[in-house]
Amino acid sequence: MPVFIGQDVTRIDALDKVLGRAAFAYDLKTDDMLFACVVRSEKPHALIKKIETARALSMEGVAAVLTHIDIPGENSFGAIKKDQQFLAKDRVRYVGEPIAVVVGVNEEVARKASGFVRIEYEELQVISDPFVSMTSPVLIHDEGNLLSHRKVIKGDIEKGFNESDVIVENTYRTTWVDHAYMETEAGLGYMDDDGRIVVVSSTQNIHYKMKEISRMLAMPPERVRVIQATTGGGFGGKLDVTVEGFLALCVYHLKRTVVMRFTREESFLAQTKRHPLHIEYKTGARKDGSINAVRVNITGDTGPYISYGETVCLRAAVHATGPYEVPNVHVDSRMFYTNNPVAGAMRGFGVPQLAFAHESQLDKIAGILNMDPLDIRIKNALRRGSLTATSQALEHSAGLPETLKRIEPFWRSRERQNDRRGFGLGCMYYGIGNTGVSNPSDCYLTFMPEGRIALHSGVCEIGQGSDTVLMQILCESLAMDDEKIVLLRGDTDTSRDAGSSSASRQTYISGMAVCDAAQKMKKYLEKEGYYSGRPLTDICEAALGKGDAMFEGHFDPPTTPVDMETSRGAPYATYAFATHMTEVEVNEVTGACRVVKVHAAHDVGRAVNVKNVRGQICGGIAMGIGLALMEEFSPGKSKSLDDYYMPTSMDMPEVEAIIVEDREPTGPYGAKGVGEPALIPQAASIVNAIKDATGVEARELPCHIERLKLLLEARRQK
Amino acid sequence: MLPDFASIIAETKEEALSCLSSLERAKVIAGGTDLMVKMRSGERYDHIIDITNIRELDGIAVKDGVVVIGPVATHARLGSDAAIRENAPGLALACSLVGSPQIRNMGTIGGNIVNASPAADSIPPMLIHDAMLTLESKGSSRKVRLEDIIVAPYKTSINTRELLGPVEITSLKGYREGYFRVAKRATWAISRLSVAWAISEEEGTFKDVKLAIGSCTPMPFRAVKVEGLLRGEKRQPGIIAEAVRIALEEIKLISGIRPSFAYKLPVLRGILENVLGGE
Ligand SMILES: Cc1cc2nc3c(=O)[nH]c(=O)nc-3n(C[C@H](O)[C@H](O)[C@H](O)COP(=O)(O)OP(=O)(O)OC[C@H]3O[C@@H](n4cnc5c(N)ncnc54)[C@H](O)[C@@H]3O)c2cc1C
Repeated sequence: MPVFIGQDVTRIDALDKVLGRAAFAYDLKTDDMLFACVVRSEKPHALIKKIETARALSMEGVAAVLTHIDIPGENSFGAIKKDQQFLAKDRVRYVGEPIAVVVGVNEEVARKASGFVRIEYEELQVISDPFVSMTSPVLIHDEGNLLSHRKVIKGDIEKGFNESDVIVENTYRTTWVDHAYMETEAGLGYMDDDGRIVVVSSTQNIHYKMKEISRMLAMPPERVRVIQATTGGGFGGKLDVTVEGFLALCVYHLKRTVVMRFTREESFLAQTKRHPLHIEYKTGARKDGSINAVRVNITGDTGPYISYGETVCLRAAVHATGPYEVPNVHVDSRMFYTNNPVAGAMRGFGVPQLAFAHESQLDKIAGILNMDPLDIRIKNALRRGSLTATSQALEHSAGLPETLKRIEPFWRSRERQNDRRGFGLGCMYYGIGNTGVSNPSDCYLTFMPEGRIALHSGVCEIGQGSDTVLMQILCESLAMDDEKIVLLRGDTDTSRDAGSSSASRQTYISGMAVCDAAQKMKKYLEKEGYYSGRPLTDICEAALGKGDAMFEGHFDPPTTPVDMETSRGAPYATYAFATHMTEVEVNEVTGACRVVKVHAAHDVGRAVNVKNVRGQICGGIAMGIGLALMEEFSPGKSKSLDDYYMPTSMDMPEVEAIIVEDREPTGPYGAKGVGEPALIPQAASIVNAIKDATGVEARELPCHIERLKLLLEARRQK
Repeated sequence: MLPDFASIIAETKEEALSCLSSLERAKVIAGGTDLMVKMRSGERYDHIIDITNIRELDGIAVKDGVVVIGPVATHARLGSDAAIRENAPGLALACSLVGSPQIRNMGTIGGNIVNASPAADSIPPMLIHDAMLTLESKGSSRKVRLEDIIVAPYKTSINTRELLGPVEITSLKGYREGYFRVAKRATWAISRLSVAWAISEEEGTFKDVKLAIGSCTPMPFRAVKVEGLLRGEKRQPGIIAEAVRIALEEIKLISGIRPSFAYKLPVLRGILENVLGGE
């Protein structure tokens, strides 16, 4: 019997994708479908006085113009809280907020007509800065401008600083980043023969969207079906409802097939972004390099709606110390509403921003103490038995020391090829799954009439490779070839809720749910004689005849809610760990920084699919280069990929991926996750490498050519 | 989305010229890498005349130290053409840095000139080669220097009935020639700043210096004052510092003080020091 775990199994979607056969949402479009587009607010903060749709409606080829009055159920959605309107009723809070949907016979007609929907506004005072929001009498929501304030408190912070020999204090700033997935938000909706609403879309979660549609249309969830189309990237941006609500509303009223696709400009304008964080960071350490106290004050701009703002607020706080054992911690993390773009989930939920801060701090301390940056990390690294900042004891799978050890030979033998080169380290830890809340995954297995087994999975494959990984886990658990297994994925009709493809959780959590179902089925198969040679077709037939057809799998990682005052608790069942070592070359004349080489060591618990893990690591590094060196979304200025610079393949360094496997006993075959971890330490290691190469310290990201040149000039003038 | 238009594929220059003279709201398209972007964001024409099939507008020929470049020659072609690499290596390099492989396969030198962007990569090298343009319209033709044709950013004095014909540049064999550009990422990026140069030296003395700078001023320009200052001077730090100072002064004179200069001028200083210092 072949082994599946730890193998370079070719992705099951590979061939379809390279041959161009995979159908993305918009590929499903045919000529007879209607096209819908969104009329969006042109004002950052205003009351809506009037919405005039008559002119657009009278245009030839226009099938409908829908506004908030056409929503039969609740006009609200939100992953965490239902605070956002599908279609704004009387007030808008950001440029790009949806107000109406125009449906036409084709895209040209719909877009043209949408220009004739007239909105009358009464403008309100705009808040575009969280520090203004903090004290402003202008309220973006009646409850006030503070969305969330989370704290992490451990030990005695005053005492910690008093007993420190070195104290380093700095402020770090990051900005908005766009997900910039290759495929913009898209989908289509239709009514099936039973009169149910069906939405097929590019998404990271289907069951959540089914529920939102059901609430919006005041229809029971069984009357709504959501199917995931092949999805061209997510990174957190397709967690929120994008096209799905509009499509369902159009189908509800028109009973026809309707398709949507955002333009790149629209996606830039209206979709969520990474949170800009302002991080005041104070670190105290003893002479021997041990970190004694960490005080962090995070102020975030969450935009006008919650989206994942609370999640980022908390996750940034509990990860603020970095992967180090710190006895005295005090973190305040606060998110304020503004009239800027809605900031939501993006790969790492605030942790990449914090990694930039804590890794810069650590290098600074090492510099003052004349310690090697690697040694100071080894000294403070979380390991088995350590207490995290939330006082969670790490009982197993804590491979940070091992990642450092694997990087060590490269670090110790590093040599500068020229004086423009430099090397930097970045470490991270990342809690797998949602923070301190239940986040289960369910799946089931059935026998198929044709004599195969079906895996019913609600896990969205967004390019990260979950389809392949779950199949590998199932094959291994059943000791069965993949030819005997059919994957039925991403359809609310044929699967259970697996939760979102986010928080690096699917391999770990849904993988475990698959193991659970497989164990039950395996017992059955054993009993039925499969492993002693009875053909599967036989067993299937008999089982279907008896009605023994379903084996359910479930897993919810063991976590505890964190304390509201101190965040004490075990917010995650397991953590991933990583160390990146990055070599850069800085052109002091132009300020251009080229990333030459990255050694990336990741403790993933177990690499179910080695190629996939490497792929995630390379992708994370690319995104980290963007975060560190180029990506900067300026509201009102950044319009498209023409002026928003993100790395191309020519900006990619050579990557050496090093996989560390400190097995996680609660994970499938020991696996944890790597999706977000791959990105998190990269920007930090680049900034530290720039410091090594040039002596300048970047405290604001992105450190693009202009910012870096100005820093170099300032250093020169000193 | 693109507005509606009629398209004509001209097979001969005469056909293109007569279309231009008789049709209203007509526009030439070569690679379309500038025009399509503009039309997608709202520029409208009734007739689009594709000139890329016209053989006499393509090709590269050298005669008596003059290189004649057909306007529909692509950046990809110019970047790899032996005659260009030999007679104008800076231009070959500049063209090979334009956009991405896709853009270089489509985009043409004629389009780059007529689009007249301050950041156009081929323009600074063509300026140092004293590029001369032939502009043709039905029944007439005129010759104009490249630097006289660009009147403002994205604006030339070429009229709507005219077609850009061959571009002539003089060979600078024996010069140390180069092109350097600064962009926000490794590739597929518009130049933030560019410098083209050709320098001939004898025993540490500047015999002749040609220098053009892009992306700092409304149109790329020849730094003639600097060229004049250096001609005949010994290459030493003092005169180079003076040359750099003059170049920066000239830019400030042309453009006024711009916020981007906080970045650009120090960078330009560094580049010019390297270029003139022989690095
Ligand atoms: C993604 C992208 C990246 C780019 N990167 C760069 C870059 O790095 N550097 C750079 O310099 N440019 C860049 N460009 C701009 C563009 O590719 C160049 O300017 C290119 O040379 C234009 O040539 P074209 O043949 O595509 O012009 P077209 O778009 O066909 O035409 C441009 C203009 O010139 C006119 N025209 C063209 N040929 C003639 C002619 N013979 N007679 C009269 N009028 C004519 C057209 O009517 C039009 O007004 C980029 C463009 C894109 C889309």
